[in-house]
Amino acid sequence: MNGDQGGGVPRFNRRSLIGLLGGGLGYPAVTHLLGPETARAAAPSGTLLVGMELLMKSIDPGRTIEASAYMINHAIYDSLVTFDGEDLKTPKPQLATGWKASPDGKTYTFTLRPNVRFSSGNPMTSADVKWSLHRVINLKANTKFLIEGIEEVLAPDPLTVVVRLSESKPSIIPILSSPSLCVVDSKVVMENGGEAGPDAKDKDRAEPYLSAHSAGTGAYTLGSYIPNQELTLVKNPAHWRGAPKFDRIVIRHIPEPATQQLQIARGDLDVATGIGPDQAQVLRTAPGVTVKTSLIANTFYVLMNNNPQIGGPFANPRVQQAVRYALDYAGIMAIAGAGAQRLASIIPNSFPGSLDPRTAVTTDREKARALLREAGVGVVRGRITYPAGATSWGVQVDLLVQKIQTDLNAVGMTIDLNGLASLTALQEYRDGKNQIGVWGWTADWPDPSNFLVYLPGRTVGKRAGWPADAGPEAAALAKLGDQAEREVDTPKRVALYERVARRIAEIGPYAPLFQPAVPYAMRSNVRGATYNSVWEVDLYALGKSG
Amino acid sequence: MSLWRYLGRRVLLLAPMLVGITLLTFLLSHAVPADPVTAYLGPQASGDPQVIAAFRHRWGLDRPLPEQYGIYLWNLARGDMGVSISTRQPVMVDLKQHLPATIELATAAMLTSLLVSIPLGMLSAVRRDTMLDQLARIGSLIGVSTPIFWLGIVAIVVFYAYLGWAPSPGRLSMEIPPPPPVTGFVVVDAVLARRLDVAADALRHLALPALVLSSYSVGVVTRMMRGSMLEVLGEEYVRTARAKGLATWAVVVRHAARNSLIPVVTVIGLSFGGLLSGAVVTETVFAWPGLGSYAFHSATALDFPAIMGVGLVVAAIYILVNLVVDIAYAFVDPRIRVG
Repeated sequence: MNGDQGGGVPRFNRRSLIGLLGGGLGYPAVTHLLGPETARAAAPSGTLLVGMELLMKSIDPGRTIEASAYMINHAIYDSLVTFDGEDLKTPKPQLATGWKASPDGKTYTFTLRPNVRFSSGNPMTSADVKWSLHRVINLKANTKFLIEGIEEVLAPDPLTVVVRLSESKPSIIPILSSPSLCVVDSKVVMENGGEAGPDAKDKDRAEPYLSAHSAGTGAYTLGSYIPNQELTLVKNPAHWRGAPKFDRIVIRHIPEPATQQLQIARGDLDVATGIGPDQAQVLRTAPGVTVKTSLIANTFYVLMNNNPQIGGPFANPRVQQAVRYALDYAGIMAIAGAGAQRLASIIPNSFPGSLDPRTAVTTDREKARALLREAGVGVVRGRITYPAGATSWGVQVDLLVQKIQTDLNAVGMTIDLNGLASLTALQEYRDGKNQIGVWGWTADWPDPSNFLVYLPGRTVGKRAGWPADAGPEAAALAKLGDQAEREVDTPKRVALYERVARRIAEIGPYAPLFQPAVPYAMRSNVRGATYNSVWEVDLYALGKSG
Repeated sequence: MSLWRYLGRRVLLLAPMLVGITLLTFLLSHAVPADPVTAYLGPQASGDPQVIAAFRHRWGLDRPLPEQYGIYLWNLARGDMGVSISTRQPVMVDLKQHLPATIELATAAMLTSLLVSIPLGMLSAVRRDTMLDQLARIGSLIGVSTPIFWLGIVAIVVFYAYLGWAPSPGRLSMEIPPPPPVTGFVVVDAVLARRLDVAADALRHLALPALVLSSYSVGVVTRMMRGSMLEVLGEEYVRTARAKGLATWAVVVRHAARNSLIPVVTVIGLSFGGLLSGAVVTETVFAWPGLGSYAFHSATALDFPAIMGVGLVVAAIYILVNLVVDIAYAFVDPRIRVG
């Protein structure tokens, strides 16, 4: 707890009154008058205090894909599948004890863990799994892309769930670890306006209920939630893995990273997830504080529009290559901050199918200049659009963009900066109107399949003016991507993803930069902290010693 | 015109003014070149026409703009401000959760400001060109010219992190469960719940942000009070009062101060507006969950119902403060008649 000055008896004398009238100097008087923090000393020892940027639009699992909400929902709900700690490669059983795929990869049969109960006391059965997944399918909300390809979910007996897919999609296993696809107490949610049928889109009314109550099998239940302010979690003593270590977790929205830094340094927070690289650097030397960094499954990259009408000279493959050689990656990695890793392509190093970072393009300005001459497009002039003032995964986007501008100007290009308000910049990017852009893509589930979005004709490909029919090379690559997505055999699958990654690095209208890492801090007596790229800190794993 | 008729007329004017505000806020917020779809649907979902259609339909964004505005006004007339897209709660509930925090903060800042700046301005004028006057003038200059976010951070570093006199940022210590919300004002709710320890904790948390927030208005009001007081002290009726042998305090307080207050009251009213806008920054630095941080989130997230709600409330507060200022004139100077 914090080392507050012992207050003794509250005093009120002329000096403190004069101090009070003296504005800033009056502060000691105010605190003296109010006495010491007696209430604080009475705080229960089984409480964990977490500071974070608690910004989320919803905590209804079926309607949210935000990182903060994932962290909360990962503590309240369980899914069929999970991942341990920071590992993003090996799916582990959670509410399912195991699963089997049919030879054609279109049917998955899950065996459920017996004797699991929701916090309401209701038993968790296959009917709940089926209802939960159907709700997400039919809500047609922002979570819909997760269950793309699921044709039906069957519950042949209380402990068996069968998921039928329209085509082979082995990524369904890591996808089912998503907190959006957790299992909710269907009885309770239905009683409170939940609807999973075909018209759930219009009839589901469960969101207000799920913002104030939880209906899961998770280690904690939702105590209270005031959006953009504070959320409390309460121990679920009947949790199937054993009761969690804290009676209560208080999570407060603290938007300013510097404020989080000061609070954890003084012991007013046990865990702070909203600090940046600057704060982390200071906290590394603070007594009683431990700082860790965790890789985020994200690709930072430079987009060059392949559509000549928008990209201009940057649609030329030689100019795109020149950009890749012109960048000073050592300088860029310094901006990316401690723990970040260089990327050879667009699949983060945390996943199978990624390329060895040592094979990444290295800076060669001569080669860049030669490529520009070969391109023969005359003066290469361009404009980088980016969200001005934004910090993404601890990276100050303005700094990064200025560095890229300097590097490109150094080989003879003329680059202007077009910093816009975040939403406006994002809109332009999504509309495929960036000539040059600096963006990132974060995995929604732990699997390389997330990053097929960079393929020609897919989400990011389209934004980069790179349709699947852009040419024979693009068409072949798009096909290779489809093949990688469907391959069931793991070694073959990994090899296919590597081929996709290599080809995108060679011909894609991108310059892959790095995979970021985020710092987070905790008091040194906090045990078991791990940070998963999708659901951040695993609250169940946390404990406190001393 | 009597005070009551005047008040009645002002209240009647309130409705068209507020409707005007809603129209202005509606037009401005829709003029932003970004789509709420971008703000609310993830990168994958925003490429799915089915999801976009469902989102627009759910939030009424699929209707033509005039119709959206009409529906808003119709609902507003029935006391329904809509549901916030970014908190999924009725805007009314959001405002009830955020507004008291700001009122608590702004009121504390205003009281601090008045307690400090009026006596200080008076003293400064009476003791013109003394050390006290010089210090007060420098102090108020610093107050007016220091950016509030910087002052906030420095105050936290000095009083919380370094000296340990201030409690952690926020309205209450995190370990303390908040009192059951009755009024939304934590101090009041704690007293109602008979938890004086919680009320004291809330007051401790209130002190530093209120001091920081008051810095600007302390500066402005002190300078105004000093200037106005100097002018009045040179008037003949003050000289007459002195000549009749009145005690200095009686001349200063009864004759000079009261007459000096007229322009100061205007400045106080105006600086209350400054407090509201300063609250946006102060609230971020102090993790103070008030209207300022709510307004900021709503605006950056294109949360139309919330933006409209905040616009209405802030406008109403401004109008109310102006009204109070106009009435205060009449009390300060009986020659002034409202109306």
